[in-house]
Amino acid sequence: MRISIENLTKIFPSRHKAGENVTAVNDMCIEIPSGKLVGLLGPSGCGKSTTLFMLSGLEKPTSGHIIFEDEDVTTLAPEKRGIGLVFQNYALYPHMTVEQNIMFPLVNMRLPKEEARQRALEAAELVQIEELLTRKPSELSGGQQQRVAIARALVKMPNVLLLDEPLSNLDARLRLQTREEIKRIQRATGITTVFVTHDQEEAMSICDQMVVMKLGVVQQMGEPQEIYDNPNNLFVANFLGTPPINIFKGKVENGGIYIGDEKVGETNVGDQEVFIGIRPEGFIYDPMGALTVNVQNVEVMGRDKTVVSTHPSSTKPTIRSIIDSDIKLPKDALQLKFNIKPNKLFLFNAETEERIYDGR
Amino acid sequence: MEDKQVRDESLAVEENLDNQEMDNQELDDQKLDDQLDSLIEEAVLETESQKPRQKMRLESFKRGAYHEQGWLFVLPAVLLMCVFTFYPIINTFVSAFKVGYKPLDSAYELKWGFENFVRVLRGDTGTGGANFARCFWNTLAFTFISVPVSTLLALLISVALNSIKVLQKAYQTIFFLPYLTNALAMGAVFATLFNVVGTGNTVETVGLINVLLGRTADNYINWINLGSDIWANRFVVIIYEIWSGLPFKILILFSALQNVNKQYYDAAKVDGASKSTILWKITVPLISPMLSYLLITGIMGGMKVYTAVVGLFGESMGQEYEVGTMVGYLYNYIEKGETGYAAAGSLILFGIIMIITLINLYVSKKRVHY
Repeated sequence: MRISIENLTKIFPSRHKAGENVTAVNDMCIEIPSGKLVGLLGPSGCGKSTTLFMLSGLEKPTSGHIIFEDEDVTTLAPEKRGIGLVFQNYALYPHMTVEQNIMFPLVNMRLPKEEARQRALEAAELVQIEELLTRKPSELSGGQQQRVAIARALVKMPNVLLLDEPLSNLDARLRLQTREEIKRIQRATGITTVFVTHDQEEAMSICDQMVVMKLGVVQQMGEPQEIYDNPNNLFVANFLGTPPINIFKGKVENGGIYIGDEKVGETNVGDQEVFIGIRPEGFIYDPMGALTVNVQNVEVMGRDKTVVSTHPSSTKPTIRSIIDSDIKLPKDALQLKFNIKPNKLFLFNAETEERIYDGR
Repeated sequence: MEDKQVRDESLAVEENLDNQEMDNQELDDQKLDDQLDSLIEEAVLETESQKPRQKMRLESFKRGAYHEQGWLFVLPAVLLMCVFTFYPIINTFVSAFKVGYKPLDSAYELKWGFENFVRVLRGDTGTGGANFARCFWNTLAFTFISVPVSTLLALLISVALNSIKVLQKAYQTIFFLPYLTNALAMGAVFATLFNVVGTGNTVETVGLINVLLGRTADNYINWINLGSDIWANRFVVIIYEIWSGLPFKILILFSALQNVNKQYYDAAKVDGASKSTILWKITVPLISPMLSYLLITGIMGGMKVYTAVVGLFGESMGQEYEVGTMVGYLYNYIEKGETGYAAAGSLILFGIIMIITLINLYVSKKRVHY
């Protein structure tokens, strides 16, 4: 099911008469292709969950339209939209067994009991919890509860599956496992899936498409790798990637990109003050390199090593550069020199923080 | 998650404090022990006897002294409980088996037996007092009609209250007000509402309730006056009990509803549950611990109805105790000085309440989701 979101806006009125209204989602326009796994990504308070709840019908938009395929569902009640929703803390009914929980949507559809039970079993098999059907939610681990919640959302065969922060209540190991699981279930069912997360790694690892949001405004949408390689603005560049991108204050002068007095690259944009973003993997160690940094320490990770350093023009306290573990660095060096890979270097307007694209 | 951590930490801090306190106490104990030791040693030296046996006795005295101190601290409470709780309980058991016992009768000859119970249950107390069987059935009718009905009403009212935004606090106050009203005063008001003034051709008013029902002097219902039907009487008491039971139940259920996580309702909405399905399949099970608490305490309270009936029908509980309740029965016989019957009746009431409560607990274990 293709989902079109057109000029969607949600304004929460303030509780006090004099207070300001809060715009949670501001004029959002995106198109979610059918059968894809799409992640809504952003820091907390960026309106991603509000968007999800508007898709589910639990929140009413202030203005704008939500269109499923060709049908405008903006004012349609949640149960009529054919959606499955998995809540952040699962919201499993504590007084029902796992089976009753999964069957609940079917019972409401007045399906015959035998058929409902059969379908509940199939959904349970899909998420691999068929041996837990007689248990109560309180007798399950967090990961198992998560699976039950997904089974309950899937059992009515929805056209759209919505997941609100599906991994935030799981421990680190289970999180890795469950995100693979979500990907597998999505592939197996082919249901258009939208999920919300604040964890960019999580979104990058399983999404087909990713929507980066900030303060209710969509910053960029596209495939994870493409957004990573071509961030639209400083916020997106900063938000994606671990360790995060290094940002320097610099300038463009006569086709040269300068950090301080050192020329780290070339461009054909006009002379101006800029923010220069360099990905940690964009540094090449070279004794004759362009950029000189003051080394703080070197973290050896086995696979690669990270040089933690400082630079007067950096907007962050430290710079992180990841280099291959084979490369020999001079011992106890106070300063190191790097060349910068041109495709890992981005220029941003110093005022608007928008990306300045190279004309080439 | 963070909240929990903070709470855990504060708990840990509290625990530490507790430990410290315990340490302090232990130190104090140590001091006390030392003091006692030296005292005992002096005593031992004075008597100049160092036999091991005597020493042992002193040791046990020392321990006893320590325990006696503890008793000293709780003595006021223990004394009060002995006078007002334990003695009456024991005395009730004893008097119940003293046949024909009247505390004011100096010529009474002590005779043990079950005759009090037999006479109470048969209803031939020979004193013209209340009839036990009638009181028993009245009480059952009052309890098992008024408690479920008022709990159900309270549930519906609190659900409605919970779903409105405007004037919620105002309605909450209005519903709670009856709780603060005196039972006898409420009884008097109810009596007025149902009262018919005058008889036959001289009926002055048929009472507000009859008026509301569209009844006139020709066809009014005799609720509580002379010659009224027992079920009319019971109906009035039941209405009274339902109404007076509402405030507390609404208060409890409303706060229980406020504690239900809103996400369950959202989940149910997405799952396509209708309003009534949400109420009966989600809300009620989630607040079932509170419902069961209200039913159990409500039934216990219902079995002890007395003031309502006195407020409505006077101390004679109708013309001849016909609207009497079990507690009314007890007071009736205490008043007559027939302590033996009253004691036997109270033991029977105790047994009945216990059986009902056990059934309640058994049922709630199966039906209530904690």
